[in-house]
Amino acid sequence: MFGWQGVAAAVVLFGIGTLGVVLRRDLVVKLLALAVVNSSAILCLVSLRVRPAAGPPLLGAGATPVMADPLPQALVLSAIVINFAVLALALVFVMRLVEQYHTTDSHRIDRRTRDEDAE
Amino acid sequence: MKTTRIVVPAAACALVGAFCAIAWHGLDGAGPNAADVSPWIESAEALGARNVVSSIILGVRILDTLVEILVFTVAVLGVRYFLELPHGRAAAEEIPESRLVGVSAAILLPLIVVIGTYVTIYGHLSPGGGFSGGAITATGLLLVAAAVGAERVGARFHEGAFERVEWGALAALLVLALLPVPFGKAPFTDLLPAGAAGRLLSGGTILPYNLLIGTKVLLGTWVIIHHFLRHRGEI
Repeated sequence: MFGWQGVAAAVVLFGIGTLGVVLRRDLVVKLLALAVVNSSAILCLVSLRVRPAAGPPLLGAGATPVMADPLPQALVLSAIVINFAVLALALVFVMRLVEQYHTTDSHRIDRRTRDEDAE
Repeated sequence: MKTTRIVVPAAACALVGAFCAIAWHGLDGAGPNAADVSPWIESAEALGARNVVSSIILGVRILDTLVEILVFTVAVLGVRYFLELPHGRAAAEEIPESRLVGVSAAILLPLIVVIGTYVTIYGHLSPGGGFSGGAITATGLLLVAAAVGAERVGARFHEGAFERVEWGALAALLVLALLPVPFGKAPFTDLLPAGAAGRLLSGGTILPYNLLIGTKVLLGTWVIIHHFLRHRGEI
């Protein structure tokens, strides 16, 4: 396995996530779709540097002579925690919008803000 | 409105296409053509760390990691600011969990805290580090907060002290990064000795960085969890 399966799955996930962000009207679902997009980027980065029969990127781990490429792992490690925090912040903004407009429907919120502007 | 209906899906399709193209292009480096990892191994050996991933994020990529910590801090600050209860308004009523969750939390919390601390401290020797260790420990706190109520857990830990430790960890991270400057060295230079690889006290500044990042991530995550649980069932 040279990683193309992982990349193919990442492309599919990216497509699903992007479609979710664009087509779904519910803000919470949009955020979940954004999380799927983020996961696809992580899966893609890790899959792109797959090395056949590689061991963990630890010195002296022994068993296999080939070591997995540590760079993509280093790139995605902190990204996972940051994504969690940023997603939480986005969810807070959604909560504030829901408190004000009593709906998670982005079209309705859009319409009401336009009405407010017109008034 | 009509233009938006065409432009937005077209932009989304273009985005998916661009992602496909980047992924396809990147596949050249996978498998037998995989990049040489020897520079990373050399840098880990120079730092005295056995975990090559830790030696990258807290070695050559330390500036990037610090900026990511700042992004995390800003996000946590945003959650804290926007979810702060207005003066005089009580938190949403606790939603009681089943007894099963309560008993599981009591059994699992000590284990989770020990594993989280181990993963943080041994981040330079085995898989793990501050990011994962902090997240593991915060998950334990989430379990307890869900089981016995966020307010009761929050009351047990002094909120003000938590905040001071959180900001103190961030300040200590910046001080540790800038400490070499008064000694006439570039920022982020490792001042601590590399030590014998495989020993707990090795890896130079990776261990203190991991401890501080673990503290920061744990407390930041707790702030997010606590604020969300306080508003649970409100909307």
